Parts: sequence; structure tokens; C-alpha cells
Amino acid sequence: MRCVCVAATTAGARPQTGGRGRLPRAVKIVLVGAGQVGSTIVEALHAEHDLTVIDTARDRLEPLAYRFDLRTIEANGASRKAIQQAGTRDADLFIACTSRDEVNLVACSFARVEAPRATTVIRTSNVEYIDLWHEGRLDVDFAVSSEVETAHAVSRSIGMPSARQTDVFADGQVQIVEFEIAADADTAIVRRKLSEAPIPDDSRVIAIIRGDSSTLPGGNDMIEPGDRIVVIGSPTAAREWSTLLAPDEHAVEDVVVFGAGQVGAAIARALTTQGIGVRVIEPNRDRAREVAEELPECRVYNTSGIDVDFLERERIGRAQAAVFAMKEDAKNHYAATLARVHGVRFTVAVVHDTISTKVYELSGVDVTINPRAVTAEEIVRFAHDPRTQQVAMLEGDRYEVLDLTTKPTSEYVGLRFRDMPIRGALIGAIVRDGRAIFPRSDEVLQAGDRVIVFTETSRVADVERVL
Amino acid sequence: MTAEQRGRIGDRATLGIDLAGALALTGTMITYLSATAALPAAVAIGYGEAFWPFLVAGGLTGAVGFGLMQLGRRSPGPIGFREGYLVVSLTWLLAAVFAGLPYLFAGEPQLSRPVDALFEGMSGFSTTGASVVADVESLDRSLQLWRQLSQWLGGMGIIVLALAVLPRLRIGGRQMFESELPGPEVDQLAERIRDTARRLWLLYIALTLVLITILLLIGFLGLDDRLDPFEAVAHALTTMPLGGFSTEARSLELFAPLTQWVVALFMAIAGLNFALLFRALVRRNPGALYRDEEARLYGALLLGGSVLVFFELLQADLFAGEEAVRQAVFQTTSLMTGTGFAITDYVDWPTLSVMAMIGLMFVGASAGSPTGSVKIVRHLLVGRMLRRELRQTIHPELVLPIRLNGRPVDERTLRAVLAFVLLYIGIFIIGAALLAIDARFSDVEIGMTEAIAAAAGTLGNVGPGLGFAGPMGSYEPFSDFSKLVMVFLMWIGRLEVLPVLVFLTRNYWRV
Repeated sequence: MRCVCVAATTAGARPQTGGRGRLPRAVKIVLVGAGQVGSTIVEALHAEHDLTVIDTARDRLEPLAYRFDLRTIEANGASRKAIQQAGTRDADLFIACTSRDEVNLVACSFARVEAPRATTVIRTSNVEYIDLWHEGRLDVDFAVSSEVETAHAVSRSIGMPSARQTDVFADGQVQIVEFEIAADADTAIVRRKLSEAPIPDDSRVIAIIRGDSSTLPGGNDMIEPGDRIVVIGSPTAAREWSTLLAPDEHAVEDVVVFGAGQVGAAIARALTTQGIGVRVIEPNRDRAREVAEELPECRVYNTSGIDVDFLERERIGRAQAAVFAMKEDAKNHYAATLARVHGVRFTVAVVHDTISTKVYELSGVDVTINPRAVTAEEIVRFAHDPRTQQVAMLEGDRYEVLDLTTKPTSEYVGLRFRDMPIRGALIGAIVRDGRAIFPRSDEVLQAGDRVIVFTETSRVADVERVL
Repeated sequence: MTAEQRGRIGDRATLGIDLAGALALTGTMITYLSATAALPAAVAIGYGEAFWPFLVAGGLTGAVGFGLMQLGRRSPGPIGFREGYLVVSLTWLLAAVFAGLPYLFAGEPQLSRPVDALFEGMSGFSTTGASVVADVESLDRSLQLWRQLSQWLGGMGIIVLALAVLPRLRIGGRQMFESELPGPEVDQLAERIRDTARRLWLLYIALTLVLITILLLIGFLGLDDRLDPFEAVAHALTTMPLGGFSTEARSLELFAPLTQWVVALFMAIAGLNFALLFRALVRRNPGALYRDEEARLYGALLLGGSVLVFFELLQADLFAGEEAVRQAVFQTTSLMTGTGFAITDYVDWPTLSVMAMIGLMFVGASAGSPTGSVKIVRHLLVGRMLRRELRQTIHPELVLPIRLNGRPVDERTLRAVLAFVLLYIGIFIIGAALLAIDARFSDVEIGMTEAIAAAAGTLGNVGPGLGFAGPMGSYEPFSDFSKLVMVFLMWIGRLEVLPVLVFLTRNYWRV
């Protein structure tokens, strides 16, 4: 058993630069949506900040009003009047986290007019909106998707056996993995100049960490046993690294996902992009067909998931891990237990009701993930520190991975990678037209490229300014 | 309620389709089509031959069409998709009749009987290329050109032509367009069906002009003595629609190797999906051809068939060197695409090669080309369906959408594909059986292979069969009944079975 609860550590990037730094104490926050996500946010923020919560349902607002010191407004969040009434004009942060994308988008666009200086955050279930926001075409400061966050949490929990830490970007097309080089490591990579080592295609070593010191390596640097290295690359390349460095550990090849709703499909997609073979089980016939069309790499079965005959026949028990993402916790619970009976060794379950976390744990589920909690945590993290360019931290907070969009005015635009001066930061990957490119030395940086940059924390501001 | 109103209600209950409207639209098509008779008439004047047969045929057809158009006044409104089947089927039948009239009126001895004229007319418009004329060279030049021209007009489709030219047909055009243009799905090149139709026809015309130019150049440069300007135009007109009529009794046998290679190349090009060709040539995106799964399989089958026949020919010691390659490539391309040209009488080839020739008749070229037969994309989809069945035998719960070029194909489309293939095979078997049975009652001597080849050749719009109906022979010896059966096969084969069968069912006519 590895871990019990997973919290999100990644988020997307905000295209507009200009880090705002930490929120000053006691800011005004307007929150649309008082469901599970909203409540969790309230719980985390109410002590320090002044909160106004808008929701249509009195029975969701009342418990909040009794437990916490805040103002509630019973109205539709997509109504301009309600947003004005909530005092959005003076707000510093506006969060729209209802379960409906359209309401969140409309609320945010009203808030933008009402308070142009306020930071806006939306929750969305649509990956398309996340992409648009990454490209700077959606006028919000931060966008979070429960589905994507959950999927990333799952893929981190299943991940690679030999990796210390894994983070995924650009819909999983780019991975950043931290590996530990065993003291007795004897592979072709170790003790060789990086320029001569057989490094897998579409990947590069972006940091070698030795004790307390670390280097952004050049072609002449070498990896020594006992080092930790950070590698950026495509999912395939990351797996090649994993087999290179830990040949004895079996890579995860077969994961079964039960339930192909929005969350289940997002999980299946995230695992597939990591190169993991995914089998999906979906009881609804039409939905099964939809998902099978959407995800050609997955094998989709149209069955209940608790059909013993099926589990036996399809050798579900041989899967290395099973993820339970059906809509009802009770079904997930039963199916997870049944899968364990059939021999599945590692189970991950998605929680809808908070209490289910305990239930799952009692029955031996290895990892539980609550999408709403993950989303709320992500929003809270952003509220505490809205420098969203930072998408991942490595080695505590010594290094950061930034996800930036290059400005047309940047001095780096139009330069070939080999001509770029190295100033304590490395571009590990660029995303152009939605596709990840792992640049070779003659690749030219273009304006509007999304770049994934690895840098020391102290240099973040410089990198943001220059690119 | 007046008696008149009651009467009208009674009418509607008995007939499920707007017959008057359908006939009127058919009339419109035929009327405009009749104008094409002016072209051979002009040629006849040029060669000092009788031009009046064309004018009379055109006039008569135009008059019938105009008469049908008058029925439209009784039609309640624009016709819907249900009437489309009738319009398409009838238009093609009447077009064949129209194409046959000049042969009758010209008093051509080889085509003097109405059945023969109809056969030749249907073989023309359906781009089959099966002929009842044994001695083509003795025909008048204008009649020869009319045969070639009818194939060229039928190639891209009469309705598609009408959609491109006539402004009136925009409503309801889509469904007729789909039932006429070969293939399970129509690729839209423009927002309006009319612009799509125009683009397809313009590309078709442009490619024909290119081929004419090349052939003229070959003749002009003295690279082929036999290829005079008339032959150049005539053969270009039947190469692009994958037709197969020739102005020579021995098809392309006597032309120079260079000419044969050029024709083979253009047959292969014409067998590609025209919407895809449009993307590749006009929008300058040649990669589209390579990325298309149907085009890739088409290329692979052409190559595979050619290689097979090549080795068989070497084995049998019939040809050697370049000639063996040319024979293999030309015959494979010609029969697979449903053209039906020949550069040798392959009736005498070894068994395996002859079997390959018959087998190729069932392959066809790409959907969206003027080819006949089953077409590559259907083979591809049926193959994938069978593979899916195999996989689902082991994993019954597995959901496996079938994809074409990465996009999932609708299950209804797949069912239609399967239905088409089964109907096609069924009709082929019945057709071959009818020919064999009829041969017993008339004095025609045909064996099993000849009956099969004749049915496959006409249903697949290929043309030549085997035996006396082989590439250098003619269908003349068949009995009238057999000829009518084959007229039906060509008709139903050109319209891809369903439109004709649908309108022949009782349910079609009922409410």
C-alpha cells in the first residue's frame, strides 16, 4: 500500500504574465456556487478573508451561514444584478465554482466588467475551456477542471514505479519526472557525458541534483550514481527512462477503469497518454460507444463491472491497478471489493460523498480521490498564491516548472535553441498548435509558443519578464 | 366538405409519393440532357454524315421531357427525398433510351433492333462499355462519337450535372446526389450541394482536357501513328468516366505502348475519389491522397493485382520484359476500375489470370469516382466488420466502433454497406443464373464462366466478359431476353442497387 490520500499539486498556467504575489491579508472574495467545491473553499478561506457566497439554493447557503462568518445571497450566479449586489465592484477575487460551466463563464464575464482588476477563477468540466485559457483566449485568470485534476491525481498515484515524482502538462503530452539513480546503477546513461549517452528521443535532462547542489546540465555533464535527475519528455520517453533506470521494476501496462463518465473518461485519457494500456468498463450502452469513439487506444467494454463471469473471462484480476469512477460510491465500493477478490492488487476509487473516503479505506481501497476536494484545494492554492505560471515544484520549493506563453516582444523569439543564452533556466518543451515539441538545437522559438520552463525559484520573476 | 375535396383526400391515401412532381423533375432532367445531341449532330455535319438522327432523337426526348414537365403543375410543392429514388432511377432509364435513339434512326445495321440500341445506350450512360457492335470501325464517325460522349456524360452523373447547371434543383438535391454518386458517403466540398457538384464536374472536365491534350500531343509528335485527333478525343472521353467504349474493334491493342501507359495512368487517376482528387490537385494538398485509407488500399490492390498477373504471364511465357509489365498493369487497372479497355484478348490467358480478371470486376475503384462495382471503401468496411466480429467472439462485451480515416463510422451506414454487398452478390447470382438459363433455351452457347463474366461485367459496369463477349468480341449473340437482363444489371449497378430496388418495392408507393 502506497499512499492514502492524494492532493493536487499541479495546475495549469495563466497566460498573462505579471506575478501578483501573495494575496494581502483580508481581501474581499465573491464566490458563486455553494456546493461541495464552494463549501470546501469557504472552509479554507473564511478565517482570513471576507467572503460573499451566491447560490440559488437556500438549503446549501444556510449551513454555510450558520457555520461561518460570511454573507450569503440567494440568487442565480449568472444574473448581473446578483453579482452587483454581492459587491463584486470592490472584490479582489471572484470565484465561479458551480457545477455548470455556462453559469461560471457568464458570472465571470459579468465580474470582469464589474471589477476589471479582480482576479477571476472558474471551475469547468470542459477540457476545451482549459485549453482556450492556456492559449490566452478565455478571459479568466485561472481555470480548473475537476475531471482533469482528478485524472492527474489518479495517474500520479499509479504512475511509474521508479519515479520519485511525476507531473504532467499539456494534456499529458509532456511529463516531468524525477528519478533517483541507484548507487549501484550500471546503465549506459551513468558516468557518461550527456551528449554521448543514449538518451531516449523526445526527452532531455533538465536538472542533475547532487546533494545540496544542482546543475542545469550541458552536454559535458555526467550523471553519477546517487544523483537525482529531473527529466522532461514525452510519455513514451518517460517510460523508456523508467525501464532504463529501473529495469527490474515492471512498468504499469494494464489498468482497468470502471465507469466512463466525464471523470472516468478523463482518467482513461490521462493514463493512455502516459502509454499505459487502459481497459474501460461502462454499463451504459450509448456512453460506452461514445467513449470508444473518443478514445481509440482504450478497450471499452459495455457491461456492469460486477458480472463475475465477465471479470473471470476477461482476466480483470490480472490488471496491475483498477480505478473506480462510477457515479455511485456504493457501486464503486462493491466493485472495488469484488475486483480485489479477483486479484487486483492496487485499487483507486473516486469519492463523491465525503464520508465514502472512510468507507473505502476501511474496505482496503489503496487510494481515494475526491474530485471536488481536489478542485477546491487547487482553487484555494491559487487564492493563496496567484502566480499561476508556477505549475509544479520540485525538491521542496527550490525549483519550479513554469508554463508560459511567449510574448511577441520577447528577445528569445526567432532564436534557435542552440543560440539561446543560458541564464539559470531551461526550456524543456514547447507546445505549438496543441502539440508538444521537444526542441532540438535547431528549432526556432516562435511568438505564442507555450513553453515549459524549468528554473530555480529565485529566477522565476526574470524568466517571466524575459519570455 | 365538397365532393372534390373528398376525392383529393382519397387520392393521397392511395399513393405515398408525389408522382406528378417526380415525373416533372425527371422531365426537366431529360429535357436538358436532350440538348447534348447537338454535339454529335455538329460532328455529323463536319464529316458529311447524316445529322438528322441526332436532331430527331434530341427533339423527341426533349418533347417527352417537356410533356412530363407539364405534370409539375399538378404537383403540390417541392419534391422530397422519397421521390428522389424514382427521379434518379427513371432519369437514368430514359437517358439510356435517349442514347439509343440515334442508333435506330441512323439505320445502322448493327444496331437496328430496339433491344440492341437500348443495350448500347445503357452501356453508354452507365459507363459499362459492353457493346453489341462487333465492327465498331464501320460505324459513322458521329455515331462512334455519340457512344463515347454518352459514357463521358454518364461518368460524373447526369443528376450531378443537372445540380451543377440547373438552378431549380437546390431543394432535395442532396439525397439524389448521394444516390447517384458512387459510394456510401459524399464528401462535401462546399456549403452548397450545387457548388460541390460544380467543382466535381469542373475537375472532371479539366482532367479530360489534360488527357486529350496529352493524347493529341502523342499523335502530333508521331509517337503513335494510329492515334489521330479523333481517336485521341474519343478515347479520352471514355477513359475519364472509366467507360471502356472504343472506336476500334480491338480496343487499345493497336495503339503504341506509350499511349497505353498514359491511358492506364489516367484510368488509375480517375479511379480515385474525386473529392479527394480535388483536395490534392486544386487545393494543393497531395498528402491527403496518402492519408486516405481508401486511396491507400486502392493503390495497394492495383499494385498487388498487377504483380500477380505479371508473374502469371511470365510463367505462362506469354509476354516478356516491358510488355509483360504493361499487360499486367493495364489489364489490372482496366478491370479493377471497371473501365473495360483491353490491349490484348485476355480470354486466352492462363486460368489464374482470367480468374484474377473476373475477381477484379468485383473490386471496383474508390467511392466518389465514376467506377462501378462494389468499391474499395465497402471492401474495407466489410473487412473491418468481419474483424470486429472475430474480436467480439472472444470479448463479447467489447465495444468496437469501426473507423474510417480515424473517424468512427455510423452503425446505420455500416448496415447499409453490408446490405449493399449482400444485394450486389445476390443480384449478380440471379443475373448469372438468368443468363445461363436463357442460353439453354436460345441457341447461344455459353458456359458457366461466360455467364458469370457477363453478369459481373455488366452489373459492375466493367464491360467485357469472356468468350464471344470478351474484350475483342461483342454481346451481339446473346438473346433479347439476356440483353434486357443485362440492361437491368447495368442500370441497377450504376445506381448502386438501392435506389432502383427501393422504388420497385410496394412499400415505396404506399403511404
